[in-house]
Amino acid sequence: MTATEGVEAVVGTMSTGEPEPIERGTTARGPWSRAWSRFRKHRLAFGSLIFCALLILTALAAPLIAPYGYEETDIQHKLAGPGAPGHLLGTDLLGRDILSRLIYGLQTALTVAFGAELTALVLALAIGLLAGYLGGRVESLLMAFTDVMYAFPSYLFAVVMVTVLGRSIFALVVAIGIASWVTQARLVRAQVMTLKEREYVEAARSMGAKGSTIAIRYILPNAIGPILVTTSFAIPAAIAAEAGLALLGLGVQPPTPSWGAMISEGSRYLLAAPHMLVAPAVLFALTLLAFTWIGDGVRDAFDPSGEQR
Amino acid sequence: MGLAVYLGKRAVRLVLSLIAVSILTFTLLQLAPGNFADLQRVNSGATNFGGVGTESMVGELESRYGADVPVWKQYLIFMKGAVVWDFGPSYKYASRNVQDIISEAFPVSATLALLAVLLALLIAVPIGVFAALRQNTKTDHATMFAVTLGHALPSYLTAAFMILLFSATLKLLPSGGWNGPEDLILPVLALSLGPAAVLARYVRSSMLETLREEYVTAALAKGGPRRTVIIRHALRNSLIPLVTVAGPLLAALMTGTVFVEALLRIPGLGLYFANAAASRDMPLLMGTAMFFALILMVTNLVVDLIYGLLDPRIRTVGGGSHDGH
Repeated sequence: MTATEGVEAVVGTMSTGEPEPIERGTTARGPWSRAWSRFRKHRLAFGSLIFCALLILTALAAPLIAPYGYEETDIQHKLAGPGAPGHLLGTDLLGRDILSRLIYGLQTALTVAFGAELTALVLALAIGLLAGYLGGRVESLLMAFTDVMYAFPSYLFAVVMVTVLGRSIFALVVAIGIASWVTQARLVRAQVMTLKEREYVEAARSMGAKGSTIAIRYILPNAIGPILVTTSFAIPAAIAAEAGLALLGLGVQPPTPSWGAMISEGSRYLLAAPHMLVAPAVLFALTLLAFTWIGDGVRDAFDPSGEQR
Repeated sequence: MGLAVYLGKRAVRLVLSLIAVSILTFTLLQLAPGNFADLQRVNSGATNFGGVGTESMVGELESRYGADVPVWKQYLIFMKGAVVWDFGPSYKYASRNVQDIISEAFPVSATLALLAVLLALLIAVPIGVFAALRQNTKTDHATMFAVTLGHALPSYLTAAFMILLFSATLKLLPSGGWNGPEDLILPVLALSLGPAAVLARYVRSSMLETLREEYVTAALAKGGPRRTVIIRHALRNSLIPLVTVAGPLLAALMTGTVFVEALLRIPGLGLYFANAAASRDMPLLMGTAMFFALILMVTNLVVDLIYGLLDPRIRTVGGGSHDGH
């Protein structure tokens, strides 16, 4: 939902902008540094960026930070409440430390989300550039295919893919990535369509630049802003997709922790041990919000005229 | 272009997309370990938990798909059945046919989704109007901030927070299941907040736009009471564009029902779909997936038609699809 919304916002309000004159002088303020300074002024987004950077660091250093392994059971203290000795956030049904499982679950969530969005981005760029630039048969093929994928609810597709590929990180990356590249490819194509009619592209073409050079050197850099915006909205969507699949029993194979599975487990022991649900739900919500706010910041940074929030 | 031609074109496109989706799903599921009509696996009870009715199921599958039928033929057999609303037996829910499960579970999901839409409208319209009338004040920003929250969090997470609040803490409502009307409250509430957020945002911006229209200024200038002008002139006109978001919104709602049903253990179509995927019940998975796709496409078509009726320009442009995810 967030991703689609992002695309709408981009397609609707974002002007691809005239190609910024690149001044390589002392006063050079390229579109990037201007976007960055705008982003920094967006307090919520900047704070979220710091929070997400911390999350990423935590995920990378999980074995160092997590007090226990994610499989380690403390048989003496099953279902211990938060604040129990040695277990800051308590333990679950098998006596596994919830804090440690949250940290490893973060690893799962971020690996899947970034992997999936990278897959989607590469696919979308390759196919969108090709279709937008070459036109003709490639384009009609892409449009026919995206029409089918549009009709196919992306979560349905992801569920079918996981059923086929099995429950692994790889399967989730492929399933979520393939389910979400279509919107992005359409956006890339639309960008290319408008950019390739620009005068500077025509100038490059008249000077004898090859098609691939034009696509990569001249069109891609100017299409990157809007693509970055959709991608940053797609990341929280992918995190939610991973947790959602886990909720349906289609996430990573247990005992590898996933927030979605922890939430589903917590809801089943709600009355006996509400802490099993509170911790993953709160962390999950904060993470989603932070990534969404980064998306808002990125959008405003590239399109200051756009509607706030 | 006449309405009939337009309708015909859209119907053809719908059928073609549906066929494409079915081929894609069927092909993918063939690649899954254990193929579509896998008599061997049913026989060994790999998917049929409890092993109830195994004998008769093997018989049924055999009479339906034959013993050694090539894949494309299995697909045709499946489609021939699907057209006449006969998907054959489920693996997991032995002795039940897929179409019976669908007709029993779909009303549950539909009830949830429709109530959620109604509730979302009831929440969103006043909030959107309220925020628009106080544009750029603190109230406006605070409301829009709340809207962002509702928008960013998936409905199953909202549901999780709600059972924490209403079931675990206040002990007011059951934390799931499907036994009485009180079980409707939490899922409908959880499902409606996301769409309400999207709608409120649209109502607000649409309202802001209409408030700037000359006829509103004129009505106010003529001395019409502010309240009447806002409700009779501005609000009425600013609700029309809402139809455009209806498609994506309903799609999002259907997605939402799958997860909320799974979390709250509500026996709707979404729960059966999820269980079918988790237990590799291929006929049920194929049947529910096709049904979901059909509902989504028909919804989009209806939304387009309504929009076309409201704004005749769309029809001539042709297509004008609002397919959403």
